Amino acid sequence: MQAMVSRLIPSDENGPGAIEAGCVRYIELALAGAYRSSKDTYKSGLAALDSDARIIAGTYFASIPPAEQDKILTAFEQNTSAAGFKESAAFFELVLAHTWEGMFGDPSYGGNTNFVGWDLIGYPGPRLYVSPEMQKLDAKTPHSRVSVKRLMHDSH
Amino acid sequence: MTPIKLRKTDVVVIGLGAAGGVAVLPLARAGLKVVGLEAGGWFQPKDHLPDEIRNNVRNWPHAVQKANREVPTARNGPEGPALPRPAYHPMMNGVGGTSLHYWGQSWRLKDWDFKVRSETLRRYGPSAIPPGSTVEDWPLSYEELEACYDKVEYAIGVSGKAGNIRGTIDQAGNIFESPRQREFPMPPLRSSGFADKMAEAARRLDWHSFTPPAAINSVPRNGRSACYYHGFCSRGGCPVSAKNSTAVTTIPEAMSTGNLQVVPQAHVIAIDSDNQGRVTGVLYLKDEQEYFQPASVVLLASYTYENTRLLLLSKSSAFPKGLSNNHGQVGLHYISHSQGWGVWNGVVGLFPFDVNRWYGMPAQGTAVDNWADDNFDHSGLGFIGGGNMHVPMELKPIEAASMPTFGQTPRWGSSWKAFVKKNAGRWGATYTQVSSLPYEDHFLDLDPEVKDPLGNPVCRVTVSLKENEKRAMLFIQEKAEQWLREAGAIAVERAPLAPIAVNTHAYGGTRMGDNPETNVVNRWGFSHEAPNLGLLGASVMGTSGARNPTLTVQALAWRTAEHLVTEWKSIAL
Repeated sequence: MQAMVSRLIPSDENGPGAIEAGCVRYIELALAGAYRSSKDTYKSGLAALDSDARIIAGTYFASIPPAEQDKILTAFEQNTSAAGFKESAAFFELVLAHTWEGMFGDPSYGGNTNFVGWDLIGYPGPRLYVSPEMQKLDAKTPHSRVSVKRLMHDSH
Repeated sequence: MTPIKLRKTDVVVIGLGAAGGVAVLPLARAGLKVVGLEAGGWFQPKDHLPDEIRNNVRNWPHAVQKANREVPTARNGPEGPALPRPAYHPMMNGVGGTSLHYWGQSWRLKDWDFKVRSETLRRYGPSAIPPGSTVEDWPLSYEELEACYDKVEYAIGVSGKAGNIRGTIDQAGNIFESPRQREFPMPPLRSSGFADKMAEAARRLDWHSFTPPAAINSVPRNGRSACYYHGFCSRGGCPVSAKNSTAVTTIPEAMSTGNLQVVPQAHVIAIDSDNQGRVTGVLYLKDEQEYFQPASVVLLASYTYENTRLLLLSKSSAFPKGLSNNHGQVGLHYISHSQGWGVWNGVVGLFPFDVNRWYGMPAQGTAVDNWADDNFDHSGLGFIGGGNMHVPMELKPIEAASMPTFGQTPRWGSSWKAFVKKNAGRWGATYTQVSSLPYEDHFLDLDPEVKDPLGNPVCRVTVSLKENEKRAMLFIQEKAEQWLREAGAIAVERAPLAPIAVNTHAYGGTRMGDNPETNVVNRWGFSHEAPNLGLLGASVMGTSGARNPTLTVQALAWRTAEHLVTEWKSIAL
């Protein structure tokens, strides 16, 4: 899973990626709770990534170079896995959605560590009260650097 | 299980959402004893969090609800393939219902919407009525409903600027609206930088833009706060109770009379009727015990899908095909509103500057009515009706990052990351609502296979995209693109057109009209067949209009309740 999410949102010149954000932890927590019904999809999907890697490179998905991993992921996205895994596009979409949640969701769910996701897209963070100035086109709103849990805890 | 028989009450209201939650107020004020059966529970301000994962991704609080165990199935036409069954019901259970977390847009329909058939015949001739449409004029006019619109706007609290007070046009409001008797109870919500930008673009196109009306406090009112503009309003309840759900307005006010008893977590199973064809009360399940609540009058206010389903499930010797269905009209004249937002028929623009939609609410923003209703000449266009266009605020971070990529990058990897770094705050969209009509092969019935946990069939939706609505939507997408480009959009992406089968804007199934051969309820909202049964909700509406239905639903509910009070002796017997 680590290898897959690190290709979906890589760490690069534009800053930290899915690994640094804690997307893996986010997904593991979700699979143990709200998304437990997706556990089997992850199991078979991750196994299918390895099957494709074995066919193409004779080893595990996590062991092949990033460019080769990207080719396999592209095939999954287009539902054309080398090993013929029928659910590859559905699996790809599920992991992509969950990776976005882990990257850009509230840190209280285990991802978006140090607000790296919100910093990437320029989201100034949740706040309870928003002034008219903060809604202007050229607003320079400072990042609230607070999770929803913290925000609501402080306000109640 | 033997139901526990409760003491008889004057009125039972099934469902305390936008419709039922409003109707209880005139009833309770008049001294009638009302029992409100609600499938969900009470929510407190602290239950409402600005949390995108909880509200939008994981669909709290829909995921654990009664409604969510009976999500309708759908198919594309009577012979067509199945359409995807949504993972979540579009409506929520709870005291206040979906008014807890709706966008709060509180529009009146236009006078044209009440007489689409006759006005179309008059202006364009018989060939302009779309083939297969069962559209009729409403049995009441806008003018007849105006007083109730006004009462509801003041009862729940709607912010806005009038554009037409008794025929006097005010350019600061919506100049296309039908006349209202007085100003809104609150000034409009404030604007934003992006809304101003879009309003300027509309002016350059010679269109008229205005701030749309919303059931959100723009100023403190009735002991509750003004809006904090923090966002998370879509699918999020309001933590400061500035959104005027019925849970914080009409329901508590009705309770303060001592005449409304709210029964939460009450799962209604059937409405009972006697041999004379009168309803006698309601059977419901609560904490695994069945109860029978006898009543002089029953008002059914669940939601369009459940209104039809509950009638069809409530069979008796007087109504062998389902309650109030001896004319076979229950479930017919279904309309799924042609809404355009995001992947559903939406239009999205990419700008070369930050539009700063991070805060504010969807009900905020700016709207244009030039291309709605019959506000323009349709000769030669091949469709009737049109669409309201509205540019909403509020952009949540996961939503922002899952933006359309305008063909510029795949949706992952380093190139995508560079793309969203630059553009996640640079896109804006229009919310469009196109007037939609009923058709003879669009209807609701009971699914022959899929059942709820009690073993009862769920509602089945049969709908498709008709030529009239398709052309109108294409026309509106064109206008929306023109508007976004005028404001500076450098790329525009349009979603492909598709019917929204299971919809937040769903109409019909118990249509209102004078003719019992083609309608379920009369002009007051009471059944043609079971005279002490009233229907509340968009299920009584015969046309959709080009805007959100909630305020019209509430005005009709208020009207039905007032009529019941006035005519109590003849209806209740």
